[in-house]
Amino acid sequence: MKVSLEKAYPVPASADTTWSLLQDIEAVAGCMPGARISERVDDRHYKGTVAVRFGPANMTFRGEVEVVSVEPPGRTLRLIGKGTDTTGGSGASMDLTARVEPLSVDSSNLVGTSEVSMSGKAATFGGRLAVPVAEQILQQFAANFAAKAKERQLAAAASAPAAEGTRAEVAAATAPTPAPPEKQLNALALLWSVIKATVRSWFSTRKA
Amino acid sequence: MGDMSELKEREDKLQGVGSSLPRKEDARFIRGQGSYVDDIKLPGMLFGAVVRSPYAHARIKSIDKSKALAAPGVVAVLTADDLKPVNLHWMPTLGGDVQAVLADKKVCFQYQEVAMVLGTDRYAAYDGAALVEVDYEELPAIVDPKQSMAADAPVIREDIQEKKEVGHGPRTHPNHIFTWEAGDKAAADVAFASAPVTVREEILNPRVHPCPLETCGCVASFNKATGHLTVYMTTQAPHLVRTVLAMLSGIAESKIRVVGGDIGGGFGNKVPVYPGYVVAIVASIVTGVPIKWIESRIDNISTTGFARDYHCVGELAADADGRIKGLRFTALADHGAFNSHVSATKLPAGLFSICTGSYAIPNAYARVDAVYTNKAPGGVAYRCSLRVTEAIYLIERMMDVLAQKVGVDKAEIRRRNFVNAEQFPYTTSFGWTLDSGAYHGALEKVLKAVDYEGLRREQAARRADPNSPTLMGIGLSTFTEIVGAGPTKVCDILGIGLFDSCEIRVHPTGGVIARLGTMTQGQGHATTYAQIIATELGLPASDIVVEEGDTDKAPYGAGTWGSRSTPVSGAATAQAARKIKEKAKQIAAHLLEVGEGDLEWEIDRFKVRGNPGQAKTMKEICMAAHTSNIPAGMEQGLNAVSYYDPPNLTFPFGAYLCVVDVDRYTGEVKVRRFYALDDCGTRINPMVIEGQIHGGLTEAFAVAMGQQIPFDENGNHLGNSLMDYFLPTAVETPVWETDHTVTPCPHHPIGAKGVAESPHVGGIPCFSNAVIDAFAHLGVTHMDMPHSAWRVWQQCHALGLDRR
Repeated sequence: MKVSLEKAYPVPASADTTWSLLQDIEAVAGCMPGARISERVDDRHYKGTVAVRFGPANMTFRGEVEVVSVEPPGRTLRLIGKGTDTTGGSGASMDLTARVEPLSVDSSNLVGTSEVSMSGKAATFGGRLAVPVAEQILQQFAANFAAKAKERQLAAAASAPAAEGTRAEVAAATAPTPAPPEKQLNALALLWSVIKATVRSWFSTRKA
Repeated sequence: MGDMSELKEREDKLQGVGSSLPRKEDARFIRGQGSYVDDIKLPGMLFGAVVRSPYAHARIKSIDKSKALAAPGVVAVLTADDLKPVNLHWMPTLGGDVQAVLADKKVCFQYQEVAMVLGTDRYAAYDGAALVEVDYEELPAIVDPKQSMAADAPVIREDIQEKKEVGHGPRTHPNHIFTWEAGDKAAADVAFASAPVTVREEILNPRVHPCPLETCGCVASFNKATGHLTVYMTTQAPHLVRTVLAMLSGIAESKIRVVGGDIGGGFGNKVPVYPGYVVAIVASIVTGVPIKWIESRIDNISTTGFARDYHCVGELAADADGRIKGLRFTALADHGAFNSHVSATKLPAGLFSICTGSYAIPNAYARVDAVYTNKAPGGVAYRCSLRVTEAIYLIERMMDVLAQKVGVDKAEIRRRNFVNAEQFPYTTSFGWTLDSGAYHGALEKVLKAVDYEGLRREQAARRADPNSPTLMGIGLSTFTEIVGAGPTKVCDILGIGLFDSCEIRVHPTGGVIARLGTMTQGQGHATTYAQIIATELGLPASDIVVEEGDTDKAPYGAGTWGSRSTPVSGAATAQAARKIKEKAKQIAAHLLEVGEGDLEWEIDRFKVRGNPGQAKTMKEICMAAHTSNIPAGMEQGLNAVSYYDPPNLTFPFGAYLCVVDVDRYTGEVKVRRFYALDDCGTRINPMVIEGQIHGGLTEAFAVAMGQQIPFDENGNHLGNSLMDYFLPTAVETPVWETDHTVTPCPHHPIGAKGVAESPHVGGIPCFSNAVIDAFAHLGVTHMDMPHSAWRVWQQCHALGLDRR
């Protein structure tokens, strides 16, 4: 079961800030709902887990992330993640190329192209919902990522000499730490958003 | 002469051959008192759960048992390394190959057995299985058999990479298993070169699964004190399994007992020996406690005995009138990761060469290339003899394709090519001798019964009406089956000839116990064998008990599959009964003080010819046989055993007709009518035959209309639960109309041919032919199964029929 996704998400931070965040694998993993880096083997190799709850089934994928290439000139990063769920019933892998494109001084685009491959029960039972589920996960990821990028952007601005107003803004933005990424994907919320998106897609097809 | 009504009364009392005696076994089944393998509970029994691979092709880097072993209730975790000391991590298959019992260094199909966890109960075992951590390195998988032999294809079986053959002739690629050929290629090529009409069609018989209601399983119990191994298991062939177990384990065959018990359907799925059985047996031998292993539905559909997966090309050459001059049929056979295809040693493609069907075809050639893929192993027959459904599907489809090309009616093309009644016994160009048949008569009877001309007129009117919301299709199938394997000179498994046996013991009061080498899985053997004996011996069927499946009790036989029970064991039963009758006749002559030549048989007694008052009933003879009042030098008792080696296979046939209405907007196919005429020779129990035909047609409907085991490009199984895999219920199943003719088998003691598989083999092409016929006027010559609404709609859509 292979799913190819190409997505672009706006990030409220400069291309440089976004790019520096993107290279922080632990921080990026923290934006992924249910994901966690448990071990940094070296600069390019990490070990971690992703927890997904699907109805009554809890699946925890345990695996490795390898940063295949980092190209600062094009602000492009490619990584491959592979994992098996801890009950041994499913496997998943992802080949992701992420690129940061500048939009303005304080905004950029995060463009991701990924091929997700699933095996075992995840493919047999989850296969038909793979695309909408992956899209929902990515949307949550993008929201978390954008929040974190904004936080860094503001922090960077704060450390630099700046106007009073901005300082206050920084304080307001940084004081309450953004909600921590959810430990686990909430199945009901996920299901609901999948249904919503699916129903919406029917009507948009009709119009087309 | 006795009074006719009195004779009839005596005959009726026997409930012998021809009587619709209700099935003896049903009383316990409908009360829930059957004894299936999962009903067996032995003291101290452990339960085994299998750890399976999520990948279709991967290397196993490591297996960590520690978490599983620490879980409550988990007793042991077995992997290939644990089976190595007893050399049972690999096992031989029925196809001449070897198969990993537990994956040794790599997995070659998804859900392959990697480890077995033994727990104190089922839950502990399954919880433990989820805690076994296996580290895999995924490898590229081959899913499409057409890619298997590519130069750069990944090697699936590194263990036999260097082997030049695996049981059936030379291999040309590491993923090649065998190439089998039959017939005369040169003669067929000449026929094609000179024929005015030729047709060619690519026809797929998709991978399906027999999916019996009861999944596979066993309880293995080894007694360390006595050295005896008892295995209760779901098997269609208990004696062959015992032989295999003796070969595998080194335990004397006399110390192994295999018990079939009640079996909830087999349809071929319960012929092979699966890894789960072997691990359970080894575990019991090692631990000395009984081990139960029962498959889940997902395990069953994903890993045990699939059927078909034949990617065929059919070609026919004919004269301008459609009289066939040549046939070339080839198939690319997907056997999965191990060649555990069930086959007779000399017949790697089974009975595929029956593919000339009911037709006189002078020149024919067939070829099958079998390859490995990263899919579950198997290749069992699904309610058919080996590869017969594939063969008959191909010829029955190609007859329609030829009719369309020549421009004649699909009934007429069959009439023109049938083997004529006076040509029997008829030897086909592949060398099979069809012993008997009456094909024209069967077809005409069906056409008349359904008013075929009227149906075709209705169809023509429907086709002429552009506003008709439905398309009407009429399908025909005039098939010949080949069953009853088989003559030991042609058929053997692991060198053991496919004879079968029956032992009959007649007790003093006329009660009879018959033991056979076959194994009922719902066929009604307890009833039908008893009826054969009742007629042969003149003792009531109600007092005849049939026992099968316990190798400690029954004489050796090859089991029940390929509709072989009646053709082979039914014959052995009649022969054993006739031995007893011969002895009974000697006793009767002695008691009546006449010569044996003066006696004649009448229903249930020997009478003195010309002196009707003088007679001895079989019951009187039974008692006498156990006294001193028997001929001098004769031994007491009325027992006999017969081992029957059939002189030929049997060839039941039939003519089926199906009418469908296809919704052109949704692709839904509604079966309006299905008329099935079967000729299985002598009919032992018409009610049991009717039941067999209903079952076989329902499974044919399942295959034609919905069953399929799909995989994605990574080798993920996409249809292994009953959410996805189509099992028709009373809701979907059409109404069946049945009919029959009787053309007795000339070489069978009672003229019977076997019937269980005919409706499956003949039914599938009939459904396909009906669906495709609905589109025939639009130039469509073939559509692959299954004819689900989605797939049929695609055809409607491609033709623009769904536009309003």
